Amino acid sequence: MAAEQPQREGSKALSGLLSGIAQAAYYGHAGITEELLRGQLYPEAAPHEFRALLAKMSGVLKSVASADMDLNQLEAFLTAQTKKQGGITADQAAVIANFWKNHRTKIRESLINQSRWDNTLKNMNWRVDLKSQSRHIDQINTPVAIVEMELGKNGQSQFFFFLQDFFFFLF
Amino acid sequence: MAAKAAVLGAPSLEPFDFGSTAAIIKLLPKDLFAELCERIMQHLRCLIPGVNTVELCQRFQTAGVEMNVADLAKIINVVSFLFSTAAKNNLSAEELSTGLGNVISMLPKHAVQVICHIWNEQGKSIMSEDARNMATVGQIIDIQWKLGMAVSSDSCRSLKYPYVTMTLKVAELSGQIMSRSFEMTIPQFQDFFRHFKEMAAVLETV
Repeated sequence: MAAEQPQREGSKALSGLLSGIAQAAYYGHAGITEELLRGQLYPEAAPHEFRALLAKMSGVLKSVASADMDLNQLEAFLTAQTKKQGGITADQAAVIANFWKNHRTKIRESLINQSRWDNTLKNMNWRVDLKSQSRHIDQINTPVAIVEMELGKNGQSQFFFFLQDFFFFLF
Repeated sequence: MAAKAAVLGAPSLEPFDFGSTAAIIKLLPKDLFAELCERIMQHLRCLIPGVNTVELCQRFQTAGVEMNVADLAKIINVVSFLFSTAAKNNLSAEELSTGLGNVISMLPKHAVQVICHIWNEQGKSIMSEDARNMATVGQIIDIQWKLGMAVSSDSCRSLKYPYVTMTLKVAELSGQIMSRSFEMTIPQFQDFFRHFKEMAAVLETV
């Protein structure tokens, strides 16, 4: 029982560390410093020891995320890491594997968003009106759709309104 | 991250760079500005198909005013916005000159006079529901699409996701044709497509 305690504590701390790494690298949370993580998760560790641990875990997680590893690739990769000089322990591999299984989708989504630099369609609303006044005589008394599109990137948005009364080129 | 909404003719008083547009308006002598506003009002009243920005720029140049089409389009957007806001809110000329508060106060005095004068004369003609809608929309004249696959990036070696890029060619208020492009993931595109299918169905039944 006593022997399991430190292992569970170690797993919890490592899990928290991976969470912190993900928050900073993928979920866009600023202010997650090395100091903060060490204080919260590994208060007993010496700064240079913690820095080494942080670097190693960041490297492993980034490799896994960058290759979007499936379970087979993940197992092979982590096993190789445990056999390396200065690599990870089997326990650490288990924690990392578990973390990736739970966070893969969210991290992948974040990576995809990080690579979308052009305008994206954020929202769209529409309404159909019956026009009785028009710039062109032939459009009087025709139904027309008014579409509102919110296009934007990086937290900025622009709203555009469009008239649409012909659809044939879409279908 | 602060979301700054730059609104093109939408029904709200969100500022769209009135400061720099006011500076551009100051370049125009009163009579040319009046002529421009007259054209804008005629366009809003559906008497003319658009404001020919290229022709106007040439005319201004002959009269000794250096202005490019982009700057002229800014003025057109601002004045159209003011007229259409007045129409939506049923404002009188006095209410227009005082009601829009700091927006109006950014414009030169002679410009405010011109706008109020034209609004006084012709404002009633664009207070109908349809005219109010016409004042704020551009018209899609063409849609192009492209299906792409993101393979890899500097932060992710194995991106592999498909996406749709769409370009809309829009005839705007000023008569200018602008292209606007945007990207959608496949689920977003399916959503987009579903909206248009619903619109088509409603248009058929009206």
